[in-house]
Amino acid sequence: MIKAEMNTGLGAPASKAIGPDAPRRSLQGVVTFLKEYLVLIMIALLVGITAVVEPKFMDAANLINIERQLGPLMMVSLGMTFVIIGGFIDLSVTGTVNLVAVVTISLIQPLGQVSALFVGLGLGIVCGGLNAVLILSSGAVTQAEALFLTFGMSTVYSALALLYSHGSTMHFWDMSASKTLFETIGSGKLGPFSVSFVIFLVCLALLWAFQEKTVEGRFIRLTGGNKTAARLAGVNIARSIVVIYILCGFMTAVGSIVLFSRITTAAPTIGLGFETNAILAVVVGGTTLLGGKGSVLRTVMGVLLVTLMSNCLDLINVSTYLQVAVKGAILVLAIWLDNRKQA
Amino acid sequence: MDAVGSDVILSIKDVSKSFPGVRALDNVSVDVRRGTVHGLVGENGAGKSTLMKILSGVYERDAGTVTFDGQSVEHTTPHQSMQSGLAIIYQELNLVNKMSVGENIFLGRFREMKGMRGTHAKAREILDSIGCDIPTTKLVSELSVSQKQMVEIAKALSFKSKLIIMDEPSSSLTGEELIELAKIIQQLKGQGISIIYISHKLAEVFDFCDVISVMRDGHIIDTKPTGDFTRNELIAMMVGRTIENEYPPRPQCVGAPLLEVKHLNTRKLHDISFTLHYGEILGLVGLVGAGRTEIVRALFGADKVRGHEVWIDGKKVKIRKPRDAKEAGLGFIPEDRKLQGLVLPFSVECNITMAAFRKFSWFGLIRKSIEKGIAARQVAALNVKTPSTRVPVRNLSGGNQQKCIVGRWLELSPRVLIMDEPTRGIDVGAKYEIYMLMKQIAERGGAIILISSELPEVLSMSNRVLTIFEGRIMGELLPETASADEIMSSALGMAQVTA
Repeated sequence: MIKAEMNTGLGAPASKAIGPDAPRRSLQGVVTFLKEYLVLIMIALLVGITAVVEPKFMDAANLINIERQLGPLMMVSLGMTFVIIGGFIDLSVTGTVNLVAVVTISLIQPLGQVSALFVGLGLGIVCGGLNAVLILSSGAVTQAEALFLTFGMSTVYSALALLYSHGSTMHFWDMSASKTLFETIGSGKLGPFSVSFVIFLVCLALLWAFQEKTVEGRFIRLTGGNKTAARLAGVNIARSIVVIYILCGFMTAVGSIVLFSRITTAAPTIGLGFETNAILAVVVGGTTLLGGKGSVLRTVMGVLLVTLMSNCLDLINVSTYLQVAVKGAILVLAIWLDNRKQA
Repeated sequence: MDAVGSDVILSIKDVSKSFPGVRALDNVSVDVRRGTVHGLVGENGAGKSTLMKILSGVYERDAGTVTFDGQSVEHTTPHQSMQSGLAIIYQELNLVNKMSVGENIFLGRFREMKGMRGTHAKAREILDSIGCDIPTTKLVSELSVSQKQMVEIAKALSFKSKLIIMDEPSSSLTGEELIELAKIIQQLKGQGISIIYISHKLAEVFDFCDVISVMRDGHIIDTKPTGDFTRNELIAMMVGRTIENEYPPRPQCVGAPLLEVKHLNTRKLHDISFTLHYGEILGLVGLVGAGRTEIVRALFGADKVRGHEVWIDGKKVKIRKPRDAKEAGLGFIPEDRKLQGLVLPFSVECNITMAAFRKFSWFGLIRKSIEKGIAARQVAALNVKTPSTRVPVRNLSGGNQQKCIVGRWLELSPRVLIMDEPTRGIDVGAKYEIYMLMKQIAERGGAIILISSELPEVLSMSNRVLTIFEGRIMGELLPETASADEIMSSALGMAQVTA
């Protein structure tokens, strides 16, 4: 266990071989490598096995399908990553996805598509900001408190979505106004890639730079690492909390828009299960729930694994119920491993 | 050293242990004889805890042999080593608070004791054998620290231990409790049980131990009968050089008023007003809980305040949060290094630079080269011992961790540095270095507010002392002229004194 503890540092270098026990060190190095790239190895295994068992997996149609499926969860999980690095959690993404989807789609007709897009993104920011204000004003400092608050807010946002849409589903084909913007987001192509994939790449690049290269990104990490110490060193942790929730709300709105654009339909329950899938992807990717440590790149691997797994299980006709059980088991396993690393 | 006879209970030979970047133990050899009290001293980070954890089976050694009671010890677990008669009593006692004394002694072994009746009867017997009259049905949460220690000792005896390792047993004992502990150690010795006694408090080590081993940097420097050591020799061996004094001469450069605090009130504090001068070290003396920490936390904006005025250099400043305090030129080294000061899993570099982000931020972007430079400069200036600035600060010893926090603030050249228990849990050598830093800060015109539970430390380092009792300032004394007794009685609220 002590070996694991030694390797949890921020940017800690791989252990150097010193002295006569170098061979042992290299073995330890292999273990560290395996731990570090466990997700990649699992992805490779999953792809390899499924490709052999079910050749349909490698069909162009299925690969395109996977690429499309990745988008929305990717966006939400990228936002969630910062909340978790900051030592908090956001269960309200489900409600935000619901609310943003029904509001945005309903505004295409009266406001026009560009305005609708901006209102949708703004609504995500408002939802995230509201979460942050509630957390700060209630003096919540622990992840558990944030968990309950954002769970409550998820219910509120979902209920608002139901009230707003009167529980009905809206479709693109019911609208006479131009919706080419959303159709492009949903199914357009840019060279060999789909537009949603390009949006994802842009978001990833920006968020990675934010995480690694900006002072605010560092503040978020410090807040997640040790709130008290960060505050006493003059870090504005309140601002970090606002930033992480707004970022998560915004990315959730992006995810929501990509999602309903792809399926050309928005129901007020469209976001069902997003919070667990996003947290699952972040944690499986290797970002610790304890805060301070993690990366958007890890989350990308986590989302890949989660999405590929659903796809593979679908292809080999595993029942949905069993799929949920498998997902749950993986989440528990990931948290269990995470806790063991810290102990 | 090589006398391997039946009278040697524990023989450690050429034991080595490395962690990434640190050689914690390097060919350590030592023999412990039956029925002796063997003292183990050394600075933090010298390797004492690592050695003990290897003995108890928490860590596995890289090389060397350990022979306990004539048998070679391989791949042991903490439970096995306990069974074989080697018990460790850790500084933070490992008892279940919500269970009774008897239950704790035989935790997990009730069946072997033939039920609870047998458990309590046997526990009584063991407690009586060390002259301890705690009722076995009492809850551990109701016991004092020293009584808990008795329970730990009884637990060790219940395993028929032949060797008991005591790690800093006296750190939270009062004077009388210490005498009790001394008695028990004598009794255990009389029963032929060996004790390894680890302590920072040299007076006790000289009183209790028959033999002393000194550790430094992962080596055993020397093992000799206690009578062959002098106190100064022991300290010199621990730190690797001679220290003439435990404290540097106090800086004498008090100038004009720098910081004025007026009518500071909080839930616990009542009308605190004081002045701090350029180049002054101001000590706050009081019992734990008297309000010393509360004063500096309120001043630094870490806690809510009911209205007060702070003037720096004749200008009024508003401090509502730590950020304001930092802007106003204050620095704060909190009392709990690990919980309040450091982000333990983060790098040394990140921990040093975390307050100085303005210096390496360019339109919100981190300029890595400048940040590296800051860390390198402070590591060099404060002589922080670390393999690189990229290792987690957790891997450093207590003294070096503390230096990282000091460096964090020195980078900002604060006008007032608040140091709450700056030398708690760090070793003699690092303490002296911290004192020297304080002296330098004062001599450059900075001012320091010092809080310490070690009275000699405050008295030797401060130019002026405020005594605090129940949230009020009781007196103001000059340690150069006032006696320690005077200061203590003022801090105990017995007399109102002014200098």
